[in-house]
Amino acid sequence: MRLANDHAWLRVGRINEITASRAEASTGLSRLGKNTKLRVADKVSVALEPMKKEDVNPADERLGTLLRESRTFPALPPRFQQKVWRRIEDAEAPVKSESLLDALSALILRPRFALAGAAALVVAGSLLGALEGRQVARHDAQVNYLASVAPHALR
Amino acid sequence: MNRSLVILLGALALAAAVFAGSYFTAQRATVMCCTKPADDLSWLRDEFHLSDAEMTRIHELHEGYLPQCAGMCAQIAAKKSELESVLGNGTNITAEAQTKLNELAALRAKCQAQMLQHFVTVSQAMPPEQGRRYLAEMQQLTLGTNELMEQSMSGDTGHEHHH
Repeated sequence: MRLANDHAWLRVGRINEITASRAEASTGLSRLGKNTKLRVADKVSVALEPMKKEDVNPADERLGTLLRESRTFPALPPRFQQKVWRRIEDAEAPVKSESLLDALSALILRPRFALAGAAALVVAGSLLGALEGRQVARHDAQVNYLASVAPHALR
Repeated sequence: MNRSLVILLGALALAAAVFAGSYFTAQRATVMCCTKPADDLSWLRDEFHLSDAEMTRIHELHEGYLPQCAGMCAQIAAKKSELESVLGNGTNITAEAQTKLNELAALRAKCQAQMLQHFVTVSQAMPPEQGRRYLAEMQQLTLGTNELMEQSMSGDTGHEHHH
């Protein structure tokens, strides 16, 4: 890509140097084995440090302006700051023990527990239903017998 | 609403549905399986654990008793219709109506005595312990209702009348 600016070479070259220097600093590589590019990058990083007014190079000043201009700031999502602070607060807050409801719902959602519970309910319901059914059948049989031997007028 | 609460409520509803479904299905199946509407004496066999020989004897007694019972029922029904015709649309109880009432009561008492005698005979065809249990239960079932009605009318619960 060719830039229309006269200082295009400066911009691209400087950016590469600064990037290399940052990468070096972040990875913590030893500076003993550094190549020429890195040495230049060191110089750049030194150049980026606060300088006395008389040391300010007009080319660096232009570079800074160009860098600032070249940066694009995407629009932040809504309530970005608020969310960030909330996350920070959450991270700093002591870990809360989960409530009984949460624990119960987590237990219920376990497939093994859900299956076991459903099976237990079916067994319990069937047993109770069968017992009740026996009582109903017994009562019906008793009513049948009573109806056959004791006329309703006497009861 | 809290997600956990929704999950718990849903699980409870599902559990209730599963339990109710199992319960009613099993109940219906058991009733259909155990009920023998054709046999009036099935209750006796199951309840008092009677043998085939005992059941045969009781069956004979039962068959012998049914015509007597039906005869008494017919007499009571006839006497009731006589009483209704005597009472008619009158507002007073006449001497004839009183006579019919007495005859109806006598018939009912005779029928009741005959029924109790049948219970005694049937109980004697059972093993002694089962026979005693049968007699007590039948007396409670046939006479207990009248006692309850009399108690409710007198507003009393087990005390003697003070006329």
